[in-house]
Amino acid sequence: MSGNDTLEKIVGSGNVLDSRDILEEYSSDLSFVPRRRPRCVVRPGTADEVKGIVKWANETMTPLVPMSSGRPHFRGDTVPAMGGSVIVDFSRMKKIIRIDPRNWVAMVEPGVTFAELQPELEKAGLSTYTPLCPRGTKSVAASMLEREPITMPAHHWDALDPFLCAEIIFGTGDKLRSGEAAGPDSIEDQWKMGKAQMVPFGLGQFDESRLVSGAQGTIGIITWATMKCRPCSTLTRTFLIPSETIEPLVDLSYRLIRVRLGETCFIVNDLNLASLLAQSPGEIRDLRATLPPWVLVVTFEGYGVLPEEKVAYQVADFRDMLKQADNLKTIHTVGGFSDEDVSNLLTEPSAEPYWKLRYKGGFSDVFFLTTLNKAPAFIGTMSTLAQSRRFPAEDIGVYVQPIVQGTSCHLEFDLFFDPTDSTPTERARSVTTEGVYDLANMGAFFSRPYGAWANIAYSRAAETNILQRKVKKIFDPNNVLNPGRLCF
Amino acid sequence: MDLTKDAYRALEDIVGPENISQDQAVMDTYNQVWGNKLVFDAKWSTRPAAVLMPESTEEVQAVVRACNRYRISFKPFSSGFEIMSTALASENAIILDLKRMNRILDIDVKNMHALVEPYVSVYRLQLELAKHGLFIGTISAGAEAGVIASHCCHFGSGTTQVYAGGLGRNVLGCEWVLPTGEILRMGSAETGNEWYSADGPGFSLRGILRGHSGANGGHGVITKCSAKLYHWYGPQEWELQGSLPSLKRLDRVPDGFKAFAATFATRDDAYDALREVGQAGIGFSVWLLIGGEMCEGNDEFWEMFQKMDPAEMQRLAHSLLVILGANTTREMDYREKCLRKIVDKWQGQFLPPLNDPEYLALRSAIMFWSIGTVRETFRPCGEFFITPCTDATEDMIKLQNTAAVEGLMPYVQKGAIMQPGPAPFHLPYENYSVGSHIETIIQFDPYDDDSLQAVREWTDETFDPKGKFCKFGVPCLGGGLQIEPVSHVVQKWGPEYDNYDVWLTKIKDALDPNNLGDWSAYVPPLFP
Amino acid sequence: MAIEEYEHDSLRCTRCSFCKWIPWESMRHPDFMQGCPSASRYNFHAYAAGGKFNLALSLMKGRIAYTEGFLDAVFKCQMDGSCDISCKAVQDIEPLQNMQELRIRCVQDGQGDPAHMLVIEGLKKEDNMMQAKKADRAKWAEGIPVKNLIKEKAKVVYHAGCRYSFDEELWPTARAGLALLMNAGVDVGIMGRDEACCGGRAYEMGYLGELTKFAEHNREVFKAAGVTTLVTPCSDGYQTFKVLYDKIGRKLDIEVLHITEYIHRLIKEGTIRLTKKIPLTVTYHDPCHLGRLAEPWIHWKGKEVKVLGQMIVHEPPKKYRRGANGVYDIPREILKSIPGLRVVEMYRTRESAWCCGAGGGVKEAYPDFAIWTGAERLKEAKAVGARAIVSACPWCTRNFKDTVRERGHQIEVYDIIELVRKACNGKINM
Repeated sequence: MSGNDTLEKIVGSGNVLDSRDILEEYSSDLSFVPRRRPRCVVRPGTADEVKGIVKWANETMTPLVPMSSGRPHFRGDTVPAMGGSVIVDFSRMKKIIRIDPRNWVAMVEPGVTFAELQPELEKAGLSTYTPLCPRGTKSVAASMLEREPITMPAHHWDALDPFLCAEIIFGTGDKLRSGEAAGPDSIEDQWKMGKAQMVPFGLGQFDESRLVSGAQGTIGIITWATMKCRPCSTLTRTFLIPSETIEPLVDLSYRLIRVRLGETCFIVNDLNLASLLAQSPGEIRDLRATLPPWVLVVTFEGYGVLPEEKVAYQVADFRDMLKQADNLKTIHTVGGFSDEDVSNLLTEPSAEPYWKLRYKGGFSDVFFLTTLNKAPAFIGTMSTLAQSRRFPAEDIGVYVQPIVQGTSCHLEFDLFFDPTDSTPTERARSVTTEGVYDLANMGAFFSRPYGAWANIAYSRAAETNILQRKVKKIFDPNNVLNPGRLCF
Repeated sequence: MDLTKDAYRALEDIVGPENISQDQAVMDTYNQVWGNKLVFDAKWSTRPAAVLMPESTEEVQAVVRACNRYRISFKPFSSGFEIMSTALASENAIILDLKRMNRILDIDVKNMHALVEPYVSVYRLQLELAKHGLFIGTISAGAEAGVIASHCCHFGSGTTQVYAGGLGRNVLGCEWVLPTGEILRMGSAETGNEWYSADGPGFSLRGILRGHSGANGGHGVITKCSAKLYHWYGPQEWELQGSLPSLKRLDRVPDGFKAFAATFATRDDAYDALREVGQAGIGFSVWLLIGGEMCEGNDEFWEMFQKMDPAEMQRLAHSLLVILGANTTREMDYREKCLRKIVDKWQGQFLPPLNDPEYLALRSAIMFWSIGTVRETFRPCGEFFITPCTDATEDMIKLQNTAAVEGLMPYVQKGAIMQPGPAPFHLPYENYSVGSHIETIIQFDPYDDDSLQAVREWTDETFDPKGKFCKFGVPCLGGGLQIEPVSHVVQKWGPEYDNYDVWLTKIKDALDPNNLGDWSAYVPPLFP
Repeated sequence: MAIEEYEHDSLRCTRCSFCKWIPWESMRHPDFMQGCPSASRYNFHAYAAGGKFNLALSLMKGRIAYTEGFLDAVFKCQMDGSCDISCKAVQDIEPLQNMQELRIRCVQDGQGDPAHMLVIEGLKKEDNMMQAKKADRAKWAEGIPVKNLIKEKAKVVYHAGCRYSFDEELWPTARAGLALLMNAGVDVGIMGRDEACCGGRAYEMGYLGELTKFAEHNREVFKAAGVTTLVTPCSDGYQTFKVLYDKIGRKLDIEVLHITEYIHRLIKEGTIRLTKKIPLTVTYHDPCHLGRLAEPWIHWKGKEVKVLGQMIVHEPPKKYRRGANGVYDIPREILKSIPGLRVVEMYRTRESAWCCGAGGGVKEAYPDFAIWTGAERLKEAKAVGARAIVSACPWCTRNFKDTVRERGHQIEVYDIIELVRKACNGKINM
């Protein structure tokens, strides 16, 4: 029996795809990782099927590449790094298993997207913690597992947030339920006892949730995950604070997050704000011309016991804080868009086309962790770096997202280019895959090392490399899960 | 058991003759700790072969390497205040007393993290941080609890975790001397010598550092930790007043805070209110109140207790203590209004004398800085134990508490355990966004046969993976207050919990192939 | 009580290590939180009071013998009692008493500290702890027209103590103390060369017999002298006469006062008037033997009973000496009444004061450790901005002066008597 036949026995016929066209689609994404055709694409529908696939992969030494989100993909982690890989596509596992309005927890299968989850949560009076305008096809579980930063740093207690518990199939094919979900009883029986799979702390003396987060699918595959949710806001006040330079906004961000005032808090440059708000390249260009170079976006959300009072006092305190800041004021419109328009953006996934594709049709992003106070220096360096590789600095969007309650920040540079034009494409590639060494030398921490960043990150993390390999050997001894990613 | 001359000399060369001892008398001061009688049926656990006091990471590394060369087990600790610290699985073992590694290395005020060595206590750091308007959460092991011990190596929760998180979630970096002698600095510390992220590149090695509980030295030595900090609403300095240390208190709840005690008609109402207070995001320190003032001594406590109205005691059991912190008057007004609305919803009341300003000042000091000191836990009867414990939703905690109280009542009624009964230590984590914690505290006399027997029976019952309590989760949260070679919790419960015991032993084996990190409070590479 | 009677306490020591620190309720500064000089200097747990509980228990149970480590830990300790206060802030056990009984047992078993043995030999021969000649004991008072209580009677006996009697550099202070009383018209005398040691330091070293001997002797002598009040400028002596004699059932039938208590009375009466300005910023160091160790002894006989199932209480209720009732306020009030003097407090004060370093036989046997301890205290004094440290005990003064000399600290050292004398406008006739 061929391998694909065995797979069909596991997932059912029709769920193993190997036509040329389909394989071509899965061979690449919009990143710069080399294209490689998979052997086939398999679509499991249950955890048992996933288990079966993984066991089969171990028997046949076949690499597996998990994929939860729909297209387009940008990071390269869903493109096979090895020949003969099988893509495990979770588009059939789209159940929203449970929404718990009492404990503010949702449980989803890996294929559930933000566009699918948010409306259901709203019916229960809840909302997700989201990254900045994720694409509609983005898997909620994948976003959490990738440690994508959320836009509400005051609610970001730990790099894991909002991820809580999960059912994990390790590379050995063994299943484990993490945190509070662990136990011999079924999830349904746990619910009867009032459990909600909300406590993420690991079993005994290891923390399984942390081993699968940021792992690019190399340690385990998730068949469901729970996440923190928050109540829907009944009232939102959005503030846009412009500035010619970023430093005053960094200072203001520190002050806000230090006392956890407000919810959303991030900084974008004119290009990124224009790309978020406008649709077409021309609109973006025109809008950008009217925008201040930097804008801090802050929201105050009314929910819970006294929503209006919450917003009222927070806005008043914020205004007092502004008075003490150097020449900072709020504006209510940006080039014809209101602060409410910005607010609406933040509650939904990105409209089509995905906002990063609007300006030039293509993009490549560079992101890493640092501390907020170092962001200005990195921004300066990136500009110089881009120019040295002849990528126009004016085509770089900047997004500064404080994380983990302000103890660090996700600093992101979005290089926009026309993917049909090889010159800017190559220059973007050059910056993204080679120029970033300069940033690493300055201290940029590539904690999510996609593609070429893995070399940069691990060349500076020798001991981490060694230990991660040891962990990998435990949970995926045959290296069937996404080999070639991270340091494997 | 003595070390060989060569081994001793090698170790002595590393730390210096003043900082190593194998004197038998000195060794017997490293194996007597509370809990020994319960676990080992004797005041003494295994006597170490030597005790060393390294001063630096380099010395620790050299010691660990020497241990590998001479095949000696080692066990590090900072305060050494629990069985997990001093218990040894082998006689051929040394203890690393990290008392000399006591520096606060850095405080990054802007980015809110502090880098500390193992012997830095939570309270010492709190005193230092307050000068900068910062705070680190309190663990329920008294003011002398170690920062690294509580963050990286052990488990422990405190009333400030509603605001300041807990367990391993505040580790932004650590330096770890592995059992093979290599040094790992996690995350941004390794790649750039900055201590703001312990995660990556790739997946986080915090995943093998600890879970609910830590390895208590079983997988190496944590020599530095970068701990996440929080805003402190209170004063830069403070002084408690009073003539007796145990009766000293703040003269009032400090500016920046307000404290309230809300009493509910039923326990369930109190638990529901606790959940909502957590979710409202208003609390700085929140706790389901247990016990009253401990007084100067047991005799004084007994005198006070006899005068207490039983109805008042009942009320205490259904009372929530909430400390609100706020940056501005507006914020405080809002938070207070929220609290009152929640209390009202659950038909709670703010009764005197629990809301007497002096009483609240006393409680707030404890809840900021020193919950769970010896006075409350050990002084009454000699020792205490905690089982069952769990971290879960409030609804699950209600069930567990009911089962615990019912199960313990026979022991309480026959006087084998301190009356009026078990005390639930109960608080929410992170604005309740990751659930709540509860420990069932039982106080007993380990030198009273009936009392000791009662606790042993109870522990056996709650530690039975097929018993009545199995649905409430792994006891001791999988590692706190249990000695694996004696209680076999990981080994017995693992098979019921997706064989997590197997994963743990593999992690141990990968980190420590020679099995030299003492596994008494962790796991061996292979269960004997 | 013998060491066996502290087995209960040893069993109940939880190894919390609070004995190494001052009580958290008293902590005010992150750099000045430690309470136990021994544990701070020598680090191993054996040096802490908790370690002594362990040592005592292991010895009683035959698990260990008198090893070098054992004896080092027992005798490198000032017996200052900081551990006792910290422990009893959270427990109902007696670490200091355990350590005292442990020393007594060591001495009984011939395991006393060799340096102490020399001092005790001197005590036996010459009635003093300074290895000096008894015949020279009265030299400090030469020229002072004071009553000799061997020949005359007076209401008050001024007991200088061994340190003051033989430490020539400190004689002016001893003389000033006496002069203050005489100038105030107090009917005071001294025992002169017949003054004997109180026996307190010997007791701390483990020599119960010496304490008993001197207690009985001094009781007789004071009775014969017809005095009704004993005043001493030495805190060690004060604590011995007031507390230790009572403890061993040899309570004096006379009033026992420290010089500060008497001066305080005289100031209140208006007999002593402090009028001369002393423009100086000082900090007051609480001597252990005037502060926490000077709490009156509490005799208790009864039994342990259980209530509430397993809670340990006593019948009759037992009061523990937890540090509240030492002499803390009187010296401070005196200092505050000196014009121009600015008094700043250190971080570890009153019952949580850091020891000067001299007590428990450490000055005699481990002078380096005594200096180290003193240096830690002077650091603290400097940290609060004091130009001078003021104490009320010659042992403290001696050790601080030695520390300044050896370590070069820029700080002045005074006894409170000196400042009172200065503030009296120098009008003391001697």
